[in-house]
Formats: sequence, C-alpha cells, structure tokens
Amino acid sequence: MSATCDYQAKDYKSDLKPIWCPGCGDFSVVQGIYRALAAIGRPPHEIAFVSGIGCSSRIPGYTTAYGFNSVHGRSLPIAQGIKLANPDLLVLAAGGDGDGFSIGGGHIAHLIRRNMDITYIVMDNQIYGLTKGQLSPTSQKGRVTCTSRYGSMEEPVNPLLYVLAYGAGFVAQASPTDLVGMAATIEEAIRYPGFAFVNVQSPCVTYGEEAQQIKGLKAISESLQSLGHNPADRLAAMDLAQQYGQKMHLGVFYRNPEPPPTYGDLVKERQTLLSKDALPKERILDLFIKK
Amino acid sequence: MAIQGIDFANLSLKDALDLAILVEDEAQERYEEFATQMDQHQTPHAAQFFRYMVKNEAKHGQELQARRVQRFGDAPRSVTRAMIFDIEAPDYDAARAFMSPRKAMEAALASEVKAHAFFVSALPALKDSEVRALFEELRDEEVEHQEMVQLELAKLPPDSGLSDEDFVDEPAAQ
Repeated sequence: MSATCDYQAKDYKSDLKPIWCPGCGDFSVVQGIYRALAAIGRPPHEIAFVSGIGCSSRIPGYTTAYGFNSVHGRSLPIAQGIKLANPDLLVLAAGGDGDGFSIGGGHIAHLIRRNMDITYIVMDNQIYGLTKGQLSPTSQKGRVTCTSRYGSMEEPVNPLLYVLAYGAGFVAQASPTDLVGMAATIEEAIRYPGFAFVNVQSPCVTYGEEAQQIKGLKAISESLQSLGHNPADRLAAMDLAQQYGQKMHLGVFYRNPEPPPTYGDLVKERQTLLSKDALPKERILDLFIKK
Repeated sequence: MAIQGIDFANLSLKDALDLAILVEDEAQERYEEFATQMDQHQTPHAAQFFRYMVKNEAKHGQELQARRVQRFGDAPRSVTRAMIFDIEAPDYDAARAFMSPRKAMEAALASEVKAHAFFVSALPALKDSEVRALFEELRDEEVEHQEMVQLELAKLPPDSGLSDEDFVDEPAAQ
C-alpha cells in the first residue's frame, strides 16, 4: 500500500463524459465519490471500482480508478474476487437498486457475513431507468409504471433494513440534496474496516415521480446527527431504517464500534498458520501425481 | 448551496479571494458540464448559452486571480473546493434534456440569485474590513450578473409553451 498523497477531486475524474439524463442525481453521486476519494488520498491506480448493469453502473468509467462495468447483479462477487486476489486495493462496488436488490440481492448477505472490506454504494432511484421505467425492487407499492399499469401490488424492499438485518457493520444513507454530507458519508464508509453499505437516494428525472425529485427529497430529509442518533446502537438504527420511503434519514445509521476481522484478515491469518507446513511451490504438483 | 469549515469571522483577504476564485471555478465547471450534457442530448441552444456562461465565469475568475496574485503572489492556498458546494454553480437538477434557452437562462439566473444570497448571508459574520469590502463588491457583482442574464432573456422570442416534459418518453407497454 502506498502512502497517501495530496489528491484533489479532479484527479479521480476521467475524460469520459457522463451520458446520464441531465438533472440525474447520479451526477452528484459521482462528485461525492471524487471528493471522498480525494479525502482518502489513495492514488487512482490503487482503487478498483466495480459495477453491475444500469444507468448508475456506468459510474466506474467516469473515474480514473480501475473500473469494471460487469454483469447485471454481479458487481459484488467480482469485487470480492478482486479484493481477495489483491487485498491492498481499495475496492468499491456500485449499482442501482435493481442491480443490488433484485438480480444481485442474494450476494449481499454473503459479503456481509464474510465482512469483505468493500464499500458498496447503491444509487437507489426506485425504478429501472435504463430500460425505460419498469418497477424495481424498491418501487413503492401502488406505483404505476409500464409494467404495473394498475399500480404495483408489491411491498418495496427496504435496503437499509435488509443490510442491517444481515449484520452489516456500516450502514448509511446519503442524497444529492447534501453533497458535502454525501462525500463525508462515503469517505467514512471507505474508512470502515469491513463491508460498508451506502444507500444514496438518487432521483431519476426521466421516470421518477415528482415526490422523489430533489425538492421532494429535501422535504422529507432529516440528518441522523440532528436527531441525536447514536450510530453504535444497531437496534435504534433498525428502528429508524423502518421509516425508509416515508422519511429520508441522512448519515450513518450503524457503525459497529468493534468491527470484527475482515475476511482478508482471516485469510492472511490462515495462510500464516499453514505456511510453515506448506510444500514449496515446485513440489505442489507432486500431490497430484501418482508415484 | 452548502459550505463547510469556513470561519467567516476570521477570514483573511487572501482566503476570501481564494474562496471567491473557487466559487467562480465551480460555476465554470458546472456550466461546462451542462453544456456537454446538452450537446449529448441534442439541445444545442441551451448548450450555446451555457458556454456563454462558462466564458463569463472564467473571466470573473481570472480577474479575481489577477488581484490575488498582485496582492499575495503565489502564497499557498488554505481554502479548498471541499469547503463549498453549489454557491454560484447551478444545481445539478436544474438541467434537463431538451431544455429551452429560456429554461437554461432561468437556471443561470437562479444561480446568480443564490450566489448573491451567499454573499449577503456571509456579510454579518465578517470582521476584517477589507474582506467585508470584497464581499460587498462580489455581492453587487452578482446583481450585475443577474441583469446580464435578464438582458439575454429579454432578447428571446416568446416561449413556445412547450416544456422539456413534452419531450420525455411516456412509459410504453412492454
């Protein structure tokens, strides 16, 4: 790992121009990520940024980090593989609510239980925007879309409660209504030693509902700090997380005050333990060859 | 509009000038971004106006930079971009695909009003007389910028009555 240097937000901005719809909340999210990375100070070549598929999953390309716009819903397993292969990299994963909580929903639990040292940023716009406005896992019940002409009959997934229930050590929410706060939250998530989840309420200007646009979000937003919430209190975090969809609480819901070892730490420990009895590399094949 | 970690009461003239330059830089970059977005979404007239704003913000920034160099040379800067957000830059959600030049100018006007409000709100906390004079000057310049945008608005033909929403795809049956 290199020593941290003085990096500025612009050092993480690539030459690729975002093609999101003008007014999209993701423009602010990428700015928040630039700022957070500048505050962390790791050079771009020591950062791997993995995404799935969707509007928001284009985000790695807009940074100067190594990027992988991967397969729908599979950003987390790929990010995990990268982290295991090269533990010194700072690994970020990102995507939308559909990518993370529908097709990729099954992966989150396993990264949480392994406590992979990865920061996962979900840009939650409650719709499938890239494919022109279908219901997504976080769409509100009753939502009318092209795939729910008479209104959605399903309860939305609550991303905050979902990850808290699986035992994530760091859970936060941010919004483009507060870029300074978003950058600070993402920075804190990256600094957390283990799996960190940041849900960003990022409005879709093309298919999103009026109430989910910036003005609507501002009206229901409230800082967790101003509420006097103690981020070490997991049950209080779960209680607040239940208001997802009605209130938009911003900041850290939960930060494990005593983070358990990461999967990477345990792997390293196991390797150290076993290495004394390990065969030299040139003799490993002998195990498979009958004499 | 947000600020972080700026102690207005103890703001030096050098920091105040640097802050003002950063405000102009942020606005310039945002207008550049908006112009690119408009290019990508086949909205050339709004793009043209945003490029006009890029030039204006760059010019103001250069003027402030010249004053800063004249007075303080290349003394290191102690304020950073992380301390400000959306002071004179239009909000990200002010842009829309297919926005009319009028909408683009209204977005710019709202930003000039916002910047004016920033300098007005900072004034009571300022203690240094030179910093106060600079902020008063910047506040008054924001009024001039508003007038400049209003002049551009006045040159426009009457609005067609169409909004950007008229160009958005309706949900289609799959």
